[in-house]
Amino acid sequence: MPFREKSAWISLLSMSGIYGYYFWSVMHAGPQPGGFHFGGLLETIIALVVVQVVLTIAAAIVTPKEAKAPRDEREKLIDLKATRIAYSGLATSVALACFFGAFDPPIVFNTNALLFVLVTAEVLRSSCQVIQYRRSA
Amino acid sequence: MTQQELADKIDVTRQTVNAIELGKYSPSLEAAFRIAAVFDKPLESVFHYSKD
Repeated sequence: MPFREKSAWISLLSMSGIYGYYFWSVMHAGPQPGGFHFGGLLETIIALVVVQVVLTIAAAIVTPKEAKAPRDEREKLIDLKATRIAYSGLATSVALACFFGAFDPPIVFNTNALLFVLVTAEVLRSSCQVIQYRRSA
Repeated sequence: MTQQELADKIDVTRQTVNAIELGKYSPSLEAAFRIAAVFDKPLESVFHYSKD
């Protein structure tokens, strides 16, 4: 498997797993006194950064030549297509978040809804990259 | 010539050369000219256009 595809898999799986756990915890905990807790989010971001850095370094050790090389035209095209699709998803989700925000939800819901929208867009981008790499393999 | 050797000569990855060979990726005009130049052949003898 080429380095860029590994990188897309790392992003997809780490974000799905770590943010999936975060959102599951938030939903499971229910409304908390004092509103939004940045502590849980900070731990999630730190965990995500550590996991992604460690796995990306491991992937680069396995395929050092590919990791050092700049993206070629096919890889750039895959990135652009994935980003375009993710942007459409992001724009739609933001519009939906704004719509539901009009019903005056608690701030903790709004903050997590916006975070969910961003994470979903990034997961969508990584998914599109993986699909395109698999299709052209 | 291996896919990796061709890839190194035209500055793309081996996977891109493989995708071009399999017809799963259409290279840019610049990459197509570079491939033709590696084989010292005119472009039309390396690439063929098909409507299918």
